[in-house]
Amino acid sequence: MINNPDIHDLLTEARQVLMNLLTPELTGARKYEALMIANAMGMAIRELGQSEQTKVEEADRAASAFLEARSEPIHNVECEASLAEAIRERRLDGGDKALREVLRTLTEARLGINSPGYLKR
Amino acid sequence: MSELAEAFCRFVVHQSGARRAKVIEFEKLSGGAIQDNFGLSLDIEGGGYSGLQKFVVRQDAPSGVAESLSRPEEFRVLGAAFKAGVTVPEPLWLCEDPDVSGQLFYVMTRADGSASPRKLVKSDLTSEQRRTIVRQLGAELANLHTVRPPVRSLGFLTLPDQGDAALSRVAIYRRHLREIAEPHPVLEWALNWLEDNTPEPGPTVLCHCDFRTGNYMMAGENLTAILDWEFAAWSDPAEDLGWFCSRSWRFGANEREAGGVGEKQDFLDGYREAGGTEIDPAAVSYWEVMALVRWAMIALQQARRHISGEQRSLELALTGRMVAQMECDLLAQIQELEDGQ
Repeated sequence: MINNPDIHDLLTEARQVLMNLLTPELTGARKYEALMIANAMGMAIRELGQSEQTKVEEADRAASAFLEARSEPIHNVECEASLAEAIRERRLDGGDKALREVLRTLTEARLGINSPGYLKR
Repeated sequence: MSELAEAFCRFVVHQSGARRAKVIEFEKLSGGAIQDNFGLSLDIEGGGYSGLQKFVVRQDAPSGVAESLSRPEEFRVLGAAFKAGVTVPEPLWLCEDPDVSGQLFYVMTRADGSASPRKLVKSDLTSEQRRTIVRQLGAELANLHTVRPPVRSLGFLTLPDQGDAALSRVAIYRRHLREIAEPHPVLEWALNWLEDNTPEPGPTVLCHCDFRTGNYMMAGENLTAILDWEFAAWSDPAEDLGWFCSRSWRFGANEREAGGVGEKQDFLDGYREAGGTEIDPAAVSYWEVMALVRWAMIALQQARRHISGEQRSLELALTGRMVAQMECDLLAQIQELEDGQ
């Protein structure tokens, strides 16, 4: 079904109105609440966006490939649960550089959605 | 609100032995996702507090996080800290009758100043002023850490298993993570690292366990009160020092390791010179890693309160999305510590 403008576009526009027109008019607790709403909308926009989704999928693929290379079972499509279990049960060496790289990639993919500014600090 | 103010006013009149009192000002104070704090100004006639008085009433919020103390427990911890000479609001009266206001609460004196972390971190302080502030904060912790078990009034606080606060914390956080049932491989990895790298345990002392910028009040460059004692516990002194220096609590001033305000060495010097236990800086770094894991656990619990419907809140929901920041910091900090060895 074609339903334009799409949800990414709608949210982007709505967030701009919130940030550019409404937030400057507010003070104190109301301003804080408006900024929280803008923050949540920003996350939703990025989560819907193609580039951040691609990074998340790449991170998942990297984690899957790592687990396969270590002969670790993968219980479902999202392999983070399998990775967490293998670490918790000490089947993976915490000092393994490849493991750390996978953890970093997964974390950065999530940060890219939640708080991209944090990566640039 | 006015009914609540009148209820608190009647309570103060009764407790202080006053003849009567009038509410001058009553407001809900900002901060505190776990408690409600109210500013209460009264004009009191008679009794031990006659005249214009400013109080803070601290009352349970509808729900808390797993680790937090009840108001009566917090009142007793605050009393122990006050007695030890820590700069805290004086705890005055505890109300354990829920019929008075609908919740348990206590009344304490109101300190001047602001607890705003961003205001302090961004303020135009000289190096000397920064040094003075962080040294004093270190000295405050040294005073607090003179309180050691057993203390009769603090019997509700549990002791770390086998005197090892670090391993006790790791066990607690593993349990929390299991309960949350959401995969967090970085936290699992960090918990393994914490388990494998425990420093020699320090003595068991009364720790604030949320001693950080944002939880103390400053009037200009003067410390007026250390607040928010709901996480206090018997623990290792390095836990408080590490929490204060954690990356999560520098509010963007990453280069100032002591709470975004000053140098870590000055903070540790202030602690030691005020009589604090000799602490290996490596132990403080270890507890900074623990602090990141702990903050991640708290953030996950807060998000759970929202997701479960226990307390729907945008702020709690967004806190859950902050966990990736702690995970990013954990990966960086553990690597730095290993590279420095």
